[in-house]
Amino acid sequence: MAAIEVRSEVAGNVWLVEASPDTNLEEDDVIVVLESMKMEIPVTAPSKGKLTQILVSKDDMIAEDQVIALMEI
Amino acid sequence: MSDQTSRDKLQEIEAARTSVMDEGRPDAVAKRRAQGMATARERIEQFVDRDSFREVGALVEPDRSNELNRDLVAPADGVITGTGKVAGREVSIIAQDFTVYGGSIGTAADLKAGRLVQRGLERGLPMVMMLEGGGHRIQDGMNAAHFAAASPIFHTISKMSGWVPNVVAIMGQGFAGPTAYASLGDFVVMIRGKSTMGIAGPALVKAGTGLDITKEELGGAKRQADEQGIADLAVDTEEECLEAIQKFLSYLPQNAGQPLPIIPCDDPVDRQDDKLLDLVTANSRKVYDVRKVIKSIADVDSMFELKPGFARNIVTCFARLNGRPVGFFANQPLRKGGILDVPACEKAAHFIALCDAFGLPLVSLIDIPGISIGPAAEDTGIGRRSGRLFFEMGIATVPRVSVVLRKGYGGGYYAMGGGRAFDADAAFAWPTAEICAMSIEGAVDVAYKKKYLAADDPDAVRTEMIDNIKSQTGALDAARDFGIDDVIDPRDTRRRLIETFASCPARRPDNSPPRVRPISPI
Repeated sequence: MAAIEVRSEVAGNVWLVEASPDTNLEEDDVIVVLESMKMEIPVTAPSKGKLTQILVSKDDMIAEDQVIALMEI
Repeated sequence: MSDQTSRDKLQEIEAARTSVMDEGRPDAVAKRRAQGMATARERIEQFVDRDSFREVGALVEPDRSNELNRDLVAPADGVITGTGKVAGREVSIIAQDFTVYGGSIGTAADLKAGRLVQRGLERGLPMVMMLEGGGHRIQDGMNAAHFAAASPIFHTISKMSGWVPNVVAIMGQGFAGPTAYASLGDFVVMIRGKSTMGIAGPALVKAGTGLDITKEELGGAKRQADEQGIADLAVDTEEECLEAIQKFLSYLPQNAGQPLPIIPCDDPVDRQDDKLLDLVTANSRKVYDVRKVIKSIADVDSMFELKPGFARNIVTCFARLNGRPVGFFANQPLRKGGILDVPACEKAAHFIALCDAFGLPLVSLIDIPGISIGPAAEDTGIGRRSGRLFFEMGIATVPRVSVVLRKGYGGGYYAMGGGRAFDADAAFAWPTAEICAMSIEGAVDVAYKKKYLAADDPDAVRTEMIDNIKSQTGALDAARDFGIDDVIDPRDTRRRLIETFASCPARRPDNSPPRVRPISPI
């Protein structure tokens, strides 16, 4: 098991927190949805694994490349 | 004078040959086994049609002309060269042998590779390089008498560009020389956890900059394929690597003078997929995976994505339409909203050049919020680098069709070949299309801010303005003034593309003025 950081590809606001900590995710499962460029942009699991922590909350402002969650794969 | 004939001499010749083959080098083979790697010869055997490989230069000896290299023992001088057949079609193959001085390129090896590249160019054969090594052989290279002449191989490979497909597989360590070859490749494959690429490896980086870094961190697939896109594909095994090359070549002619390899297809031309009716919502806030659109439109199981891990905000892939190879490039709303940033522009531009060189018709699927803006974007040189996309669209002579799935905004709409921007053979839009010069909210805020702020209820006025504009940016509005050829039922996209390409000549005449060459923006 290796710990990995899940980063946002874009800057935006957290619009929805979709996943819950301590759950198992498949690759590309949605963790949070950001509102950016007038669109709802999902931040997804980069690979299959366990979501250990979500580091952001609804309405937080997120910078590009910010770590938004931690996973174990 | 001896009266021996070939009959008598052959045994000696075959003994010499066997000594450089795998069966004559059990220790080297055992070392490869221990590392979980195949030998260069095994890779070739696995890659080509059975018994089709014809080697040249197996019997060369290394250069032994100076102090450092006087005692070298270098079977085939560390590179296997020859031709073989892939699915019945001949290709040139260069495979570096890592068991010979770490796959370093010796003087004779360079001559062998150079001759093969030149012959391949003259005969119009695709080039496949299976590389694993550390670049120039130090024992040969550390004196000016040898190195001053350099090698003409990059000159020859440059001449080959756009004439024959040039494939580079980095099958292990590939810092320095292999990366230089790969820089001119049309398709570069790496193996995750095994392949590395870069201008120099960790030892030289440490010596030159003091930095400690592992070879995987410095030049593994994560950096070079996923983050930098200098490799087009990263796979998990050697077998997958060789299969990927076979697949890549299957979409291409042998050279730019040959017709496309069109294969029989039993996927119906008029197959309609109802999924396409609901995949894209007119609500432009919602994202979707454009790869699903391509998969649905193209012949079943024909999609082959290039650079899938890099600049994922644009999808570039080969596919087939009624057996005809085509190139799709599509904005990917799922990633960064599908915006065109520098990596996406370069990925698409290179892909268009590749398709145009080898005659693959182009399909652009457009859902573009715009070209990336802001100081961070400007710092990447986007103002210039996005120009390569216009440039490649402008000089391409293959048939092309654009389909606006949803947003067709601003310069990005031009760059994607929307409407009449680059004389598409057919310009289509789906019913969900929304086409205008920039994001609608942005336009209202730029041009009418004073006006709506002066109103009694600024928010209501702003919303009304946005709604007003939205009511004139739809698919029917686009069709009304003949900016596009038709608004189509998404389910008919497959049929309309197939019909269009079937009726277009393979190339349109190049109506460029009598210039010697165009100048790429980058």
